[in-house]
Amino acid sequence: MSSPDLRPPIDPLDNTSDDPTQPTTLVLGGHDFTSVTDTVASIAENPNPPRAWYIAFAVTASMTAMLFAMIAYLIVTGVGVWGLNNPVGWGWAIVNFVFWVGIGHAGTLISAILFLLRQRWRTSINRFAEAMTIFAVICAGIFPAIHVGRIWVVWWLFPIPNYQLVWPNFRSPLLWDVFAVGTYMTVSLLFWYTGMVPDLATLRDRAQTKTRAIIFGILALGWRGSHRHWHRYEKAYLILAGLATPLVLSVHSVVSFDFAVAQLPGWHTTIFPPYFVAGAIFSGFSMVGTLLVPARKWFGLKEFITLHHLENMNKIILATGSMVGFAYATEFFIAWYGGNPAESFAFVNRAFGPYAWAYWIMVSCNVIAPQFFWSKRVRTNTVAMWILYIFVNIGMWFERFVITVTSLSRDFLPSSWGYYSPTIVDILTFVGSFGLFFMLVLLFIRFLPMLAMAEVKTVMPVAHVSGESKPIGDYHGDIHILPKAPKEAT
Amino acid sequence: MSQPHVMPSLEGEKLTLDEVGPRILIGGSILGVVGFAAAIAIGVGRNDHLASLGWSYLLNFAYFLSLSLGALFFVAVGHLTRATWNVVSRRIGEVVAVNLVLMAVMAIPLMLMASRVFPWASGLTHAPEELLEHKRPFLNLPFFYLRWVVYFAIWAGYAVWFWRQSVAQDRSGDPRITMRMESRAGLSLLLFALSVNFASFDLLMSLDPTWFSTIFGPYYFAAGVVGFFSLLTLLTFFLQSQGRLTRAIHVEHYHDYGKLMFAFVFFWAYLAFSQYMLIWYANIPEETAWLLRREENGWGWIGLVLVFGHFLVPFAGLLSRFTKRLRATLFLWALWILVMHWIDLYWVVMPEIRPLDPGLDSLDLLCFLGFAGFYAAALSRWAGAHSLLPERDPRLQDALAFENA
Repeated sequence: MSSPDLRPPIDPLDNTSDDPTQPTTLVLGGHDFTSVTDTVASIAENPNPPRAWYIAFAVTASMTAMLFAMIAYLIVTGVGVWGLNNPVGWGWAIVNFVFWVGIGHAGTLISAILFLLRQRWRTSINRFAEAMTIFAVICAGIFPAIHVGRIWVVWWLFPIPNYQLVWPNFRSPLLWDVFAVGTYMTVSLLFWYTGMVPDLATLRDRAQTKTRAIIFGILALGWRGSHRHWHRYEKAYLILAGLATPLVLSVHSVVSFDFAVAQLPGWHTTIFPPYFVAGAIFSGFSMVGTLLVPARKWFGLKEFITLHHLENMNKIILATGSMVGFAYATEFFIAWYGGNPAESFAFVNRAFGPYAWAYWIMVSCNVIAPQFFWSKRVRTNTVAMWILYIFVNIGMWFERFVITVTSLSRDFLPSSWGYYSPTIVDILTFVGSFGLFFMLVLLFIRFLPMLAMAEVKTVMPVAHVSGESKPIGDYHGDIHILPKAPKEAT
Repeated sequence: MSQPHVMPSLEGEKLTLDEVGPRILIGGSILGVVGFAAAIAIGVGRNDHLASLGWSYLLNFAYFLSLSLGALFFVAVGHLTRATWNVVSRRIGEVVAVNLVLMAVMAIPLMLMASRVFPWASGLTHAPEELLEHKRPFLNLPFFYLRWVVYFAIWAGYAVWFWRQSVAQDRSGDPRITMRMESRAGLSLLLFALSVNFASFDLLMSLDPTWFSTIFGPYYFAAGVVGFFSLLTLLTFFLQSQGRLTRAIHVEHYHDYGKLMFAFVFFWAYLAFSQYMLIWYANIPEETAWLLRREENGWGWIGLVLVFGHFLVPFAGLLSRFTKRLRATLFLWALWILVMHWIDLYWVVMPEIRPLDPGLDSLDLLCFLGFAGFYAAALSRWAGAHSLLPERDPRLQDALAFENA
């Protein structure tokens, strides 16, 4: 552990000092309110985005087209185009679903839970993370829909009786998934949009063309920034945060039920719900970091998304990664302690069976890689952290692969064991889902403010009566005090 | 809206226990001695080689241990996250955590009775012999003792270290002490998680040596954190009723206590539900047996008391901002949750001992009084001559002025 150091940092963009006597400045570079708006809004207002944006868009749009081509091929031909076999009847479709849903956890955690915990640093990253959440959930939603085989009866998943008046099985966790993911998507979208209303009004007011003025005018819902508007806005924001917080826990808990309610060794274990939630946050933060580290550089946002923000995210990745490691260890111990031979076999098989390669990729990427974040130098080095994010992204995909496939491929009956390999269609569908994800991210960056301007302003030094960047109480609360006369020094 | 907040002045604030300390010390010690003396007298009279006494002792040991573990978590996680609001109540948390030293001493009688208390050691179990043999590398007394030495070395070690550092800062005012505590908080929580997990297996799960649940460690942890925040609320009330910390801790901090009680009541219920639902759904006999015992012979009623009393009722009660900011209601909820936490552990422990009889044993209550007495006495002993507030913590000013919008 490094010895405490009280010297002020030398780099003006380094605000990662741990000195508790100094306030942490969350917006660097001496910005005022106008320059924040100018910097952020100009990215979404630029009529001629750089050539790189067009290239990236062309690539990701092509990948998206490939995704839909693969889906069309699947529907026309049947699920036989995938690598599924007997006994592995659940392959990459469910793996990809859980992977994407997991990634979709960071945004709402940042916008809801960190809001309730008064983490002011969230303001620079919440908009981006929420957008990413929604795009990840869109990618996730595709897979369960297409994996049903006969996609034309996918509406049977909804809680309405089919034409023979048969209701869906309410005891099936797959139905719970429909409710859980649907609710999560709805609330995340509302939360994202509600938070964006003041910024949409800013874009409306700055609009140079009639079209922009009309579109953003509609989207801004008549926002005028009056005291009453702000009052209602903050009430709504708090209520949405309160509603979204249990959802962050529930979605991935329900996803974990898909596995844990079964009796299959390696799937049925009671720690699954909190362990899946920790893993989801872990993977979500890594994906946010994967996108933010380059984005802050390309779009000149280093003064807003500072090293302090990235360091905090890395700490959360370390904490949740360690929770995931803790869960792996507990599962392994109980698999032995429980004394059930099928259960202990499942775990030995994971680590030393035909899928051992996948298991050790998972352990290296999810448990070992984040441990480098114990070092402050790694936590504050953008290249090092980006490499670790990539490891975590890979590891969390493999975690779902290991859980799904190893348990299915070797269950109770050795005579029915098998080995699963994906086909090219599996692989291209998954690659295509990345195309869709990144294409949506590119569109978001192009047209919407990627930083929550109104919220960032509340945590700037100039927003506080005392002129300090340490606010008194909630950052939203400080706005109420703002117009009042300065208090006497205490 | 609330009035613009004025920074509370600590001028003339009483920050030490002074004459209150010895009164608690003496009163608590008397209660402790009387409680345990009566329990031992009855326990010896039972002629069951002290087994009943051991079980009641175990139940209350698990209860008070969980409160101090919750306190250690509160202190460490506050440092880890560089929390501001909790600085005013951190010293109370530190003192409750230092009671892990007391719990280490109180663990000795439990260890001495272990061969009677734990079915895997006493042989009084229906578990098949092969299964016990399979678990023997873990469930054997020497290794069990060794584990408890390690657990308490971690817990008491960290609790005392955080407390000493914090008290030293009262004198020196050195901000580097804060940084040191913050830099070690991460590792302390990692060790805390692992040790609490295994301790919960040892202390509670192994009472049925055939049963297992991977979520059990987090369940015991969450229950302890709920209990600790309730205890913190009651201790703050008590200190303020004695004219201590009357301005340093104000309604904004109470509001946060209430939020955390609410959050962890919910978290506890989430874990309890996950455990119950998954076991119920998969319906595997070696897992359901544990829950079945808690549904039959009247135990099901206690389970329902928990569903309502430990979750739904306090959930509804603590939801509103109003109840969290009104001292009287918050006090009642804290008391309520502490009772429910005890019933929760009663529901975990006693069906293994008295599957046919959910009724209270007088030993359960006497042991509770004994523990409560010594626990309070030790608290006043640690709080002793030191300030009840980390007076020179660099974040104290912000914690005093802190306001929930």
